Amino acid sequence: MNEKEDIKLAQSGDFKAFNRLIESNKSKLYSLALKMTGNKLDAEDIVSETLIKAIDNIEKFRGESAFGTWLYSIALNQSRAHLAKQKQTDLKDFDEYLPGNNSEELHQQKNLQLFDWDDPHSQLESAELRKIIQQAIDELPFKFKEVFLLRYLEELSIKEIAEMIDETVASTKSRVLRAKLVVRDSLSKTFEERYGQKMS
Amino acid sequence: MGKKCLEYINDLNDYLDGEIEPSLCAEIEAHVGECNNCRIMVDTLRQTVKLCREGKEEKLPESLENKLNGMLKAHWEKKFGKQS
Repeated sequence: MNEKEDIKLAQSGDFKAFNRLIESNKSKLYSLALKMTGNKLDAEDIVSETLIKAIDNIEKFRGESAFGTWLYSIALNQSRAHLAKQKQTDLKDFDEYLPGNNSEELHQQKNLQLFDWDDPHSQLESAELRKIIQQAIDELPFKFKEVFLLRYLEELSIKEIAEMIDETVASTKSRVLRAKLVVRDSLSKTFEERYGQKMS
Repeated sequence: MGKKCLEYINDLNDYLDGEIEPSLCAEIEAHVGECNNCRIMVDTLRQTVKLCREGKEEKLPESLENKLNGMLKAHWEKKFGKQS
């Protein structure tokens, strides 16, 4: 049974077809929600709410995207609602994340050489590294976090993400790059603190 | 980072994703070969993506799987009626 056939069957009330459609997406949704919120209970709520909404709206799905992509867009709306209470800040300009352009660095006349990471796996325990990565992702405001995770966790194309968040391709691309620069910057600071002196 | 480095920053996504015009790709690679900060920037951005992709799929907790099975069936039957 292919996806299109299962969608038709599910829309006419076949629960087994709906189960086949969600089966391969449940873990992916949970992973996305967990990275988005950093919290297991919130992630579980988001998965449950997403699948309930999918049942409520199944007949509205027109097959313009993959079924999984449609589920992601519902999950993002649910995540947004969960994170709405958190303080959302915007990011600094692009060049603030580049050495020599950061006003704080210029003010303090700090060393403008970027820290070379070497291999973080050889410097840090796996569990510690995973924690550091999640903390870096958690620092992203929602609108940057969602595009970053959809691009690099779910491997959606820039065009697919742009359609999902109702933005232009250029703006989505810029948002992905800013998110990536911020995560890189955060990881770099942590790695330098943890093992920078050991390397020099 | 110098002015030249900043000119390339907007093209970094396409460059890192391998979706850039060959002439611009060659230009960036020549610059990265000469500029240590840009080499580190490109290398650490690649590592950022690689690190974030690691262990990307978390298994659905068994307790959630069990909860979903009952909850979704009940919600489905409320909408479509009992399945034979």
